Amino acid sequence: MITRQSSLADVAIALGDALRRHGIRAVLTGGACASLHTAGDYQSRDVDFVLVGPTTQARLDAAMASVRFLRRGDSYVHPRTAFYVEFPRGPLAIGSDHAIRPVERRRRGARALILSATDSCRDRLAAFYHWNDRSSLAVAVAIARKRRVDLRAIRRWSLAEGSPGGFEAFLAELRRPPRPVRRHRHAAPGEPEPLTARAQRSRL
Amino acid sequence: MEVTITSSPFGSRTRTRALLALRLLGESYPRELARLLGAPLSSVQKALASLERDGLVAARPVGRTRAFRLEPRYFAHEALGKYLDRLAEPEEDLRGRVAALRRRPRRTAKSL
Repeated sequence: MITRQSSLADVAIALGDALRRHGIRAVLTGGACASLHTAGDYQSRDVDFVLVGPTTQARLDAAMASVRFLRRGDSYVHPRTAFYVEFPRGPLAIGSDHAIRPVERRRRGARALILSATDSCRDRLAAFYHWNDRSSLAVAVAIARKRRVDLRAIRRWSLAEGSPGGFEAFLAELRRPPRPVRRHRHAAPGEPEPLTARAQRSRL
Repeated sequence: MEVTITSSPFGSRTRTRALLALRLLGESYPRELARLLGAPLSSVQKALASLERDGLVAARPVGRTRAFRLEPRYFAHEALGKYLDRLAEPEEDLRGRVAALRRRPRRTAKSL
């Protein structure tokens, strides 16, 4: 049950599970997905799911209502949490790449589809490449430091997006010593262990 | 009664022409687009909002307004740009209005 104390990860996975149980295939993307891959180091208030299969508005509303999220305009809101949900229109794509393979994330008995760490990193990099959003670059770096990402695949995609310089900037940031994180948190049981920057570089 | 002589492949005529204008300009804001298109501001705002929901355009805050441009992260961004270029070719009136806009810098305090 979602409460005022529920974390973003709790809410996101619970929502994905509710959608799944109602036969709706949806993938967690955006900042909420990045938050999961950074173990909460990055926070987001909105929870974005991209629908990857057909459904109806009524069915979607029913699925969301099962976890007490009600539609308000283009968003869904819950009476006991500040997190709100949006369904950006598809297709599920990162830049020009629409061959996205989501992964399943489990948490406290709930299951949800989310972008892989590599794809979430690319998603943030897309904002940096195309909008020069430095905060998105920082999040991409945080994901790469916390999770195993395929840097070769990211480089290939970066070249396809016309941003070789952007990828070099990403690598440069990745090589910098990370800033001290105020809140220390051990990986939860079942979560992938974070990788050091050295381990990332050795795989490039 | 005005007769539409060009198609509107993106829904309403305002939606289509807003996309064309953004392609020609690179970036613009609702009031400028309304002047260019000769359309009510509210119509342009609605068109931009729906285009944003469809992921075709994106906006960022600039001062007290929002600057819109084609969403570079749209999965078919390159193809869309080429298509809009082609669609804009016969839009002589719109292209003429865009060409008349001054976009180059002007020194502060320089008289008109």
